[in-house]
Amino acid sequence: MTDQRSLLRLMSWLSPAFPVGAFAYSHGIERAIHDGLIRDRATLADWIRDLLEAGSAWNDAVLLAESWRDAAVGGDGAAVAELALAMATTRERHMETTLQGAAFGEAAAAWGGDSNSPLPYPVAVGVMAARQSVALEPAVIAYLHAFASNLIQAAVRLVPLGQRDGVAVLAGLESTILERAGRAASSTLDDLGSAAFRSDIMSMQHETQYSRVFRS
Amino acid sequence: MYADILCSETPATKLRMQRAEGLVRVALHRKAGATRVRELLQSGCTKLRLPTKLVSQASQEAILINTAGGLTGGDRIETEILAVNGSDAIVTTQACERIYRSTGDMATVATRLTVEENARLAWLPQETILFNEGRLARTLDVQLHANAELLAVEAVLFGRKAMNEAVRCGSFHDRWRIRRDGKLVFADDVRLEGNIAEKLARPCFFGNQMAMATLLLIGDDTEQLLQPVREAIDDLGGATAFEGKLVARMTAPDSLVLRRHLEPALAILMRGRTLPKVWQI
Repeated sequence: MTDQRSLLRLMSWLSPAFPVGAFAYSHGIERAIHDGLIRDRATLADWIRDLLEAGSAWNDAVLLAESWRDAAVGGDGAAVAELALAMATTRERHMETTLQGAAFGEAAAAWGGDSNSPLPYPVAVGVMAARQSVALEPAVIAYLHAFASNLIQAAVRLVPLGQRDGVAVLAGLESTILERAGRAASSTLDDLGSAAFRSDIMSMQHETQYSRVFRS
Repeated sequence: MYADILCSETPATKLRMQRAEGLVRVALHRKAGATRVRELLQSGCTKLRLPTKLVSQASQEAILINTAGGLTGGDRIETEILAVNGSDAIVTTQACERIYRSTGDMATVATRLTVEENARLAWLPQETILFNEGRLARTLDVQLHANAELLAVEAVLFGRKAMNEAVRCGSFHDRWRIRRDGKLVFADDVRLEGNIAEKLARPCFFGNQMAMATLLLIGDDTEQLLQPVREAIDDLGGATAFEGKLVARMTAPDSLVLRRHLEPALAILMRGRTLPKVWQI
């Protein structure tokens, strides 16, 4: 498929307007902001960069790549899906990946192709990209960009930060997103690994947070 | 992104040295209302000790001993535990596992647990201490029957604060794969490589804490234990329960603070069984 058509599809699928409900999930940063761990532009950028370098976003990238390769040779992504769900360490992470993945599959049906049982979010994106002949690395770039910009939007509302601060954080993450996507494209499941222990704890503590705007 | 200049992944000199290897393979079963050892194989630097029971109880405690007194690059410890139908086994270690400086290779610790129908297994090794330039690859693979229960904890100390032994570089990879009825129900890969001191300091990773633990309970009605476990952990971490599992993570400034919260959390997750003596503060 032409690069232009791939680009167009990725812009549609990973756009904030694509109906996966991403705006409802903060991935635990609502708690990190509550605790003062994220409080300004710099601490927000560090937090998201860490998730991309060695946290849940990196693991999602590896899982997306594995499911893309599976679907590229006719697989249905089921084994990767089982792993992705088992790796969702907390109840809210499990909800995030399950509900967004199912919503992505339903919405992406507009592009045709085989119907699939609901898949976790990165697996749903990886399978769809492979089946629609969208190359792997651009798909990971678009996924990681959507992940980062969704958390930035959450932080803009909660910290609060100005939209200009949010955009500056996104601009500052460009090299990280490109480098991680490049690595993920040649990764295997042996590359899974997270150091983001306190990010997981924030997600657990978010479950009992008294006043909350986000579902995760 | 990280300054790894002082933390080379492939050291220039590699010496072939005598390596420690240990294997323990044990099967426990239920006999006359109590859990007993059915088969035991032990070789190399690891042994299994069975404390005499003072009072009659259905469970059996077993204590793993590493006679090599620590691990370094190329060392390998393997443990296989089978909890046969209806048995109730509690396995711990005699001492903290120490991971010393490696000249390149990883120390490998591989644990395989099988828990059959209506059996319970508590896997409660004491803390692992990773010293500066220590390199550890650890795996925990578990097969559970649909009606089996697993409690597992892995606690890690990065250096020893009281001894002023900080970890600057090293490698730590802990991989858990837990299957219930053949289906993968919990998978975890905790990985810290390169400049560990810098990574421990990051708020998203460990927030300058050097002690950490992950707890996992898989069984029935895990949600009922969520509130008491959260109270035990307090603000050291968090707990969550869904789909038949309870997961908790915690970090602490040192091993003592970690234990003060880990011990009551474990006591709740033991569901009436007594914690091994080594875990009681």
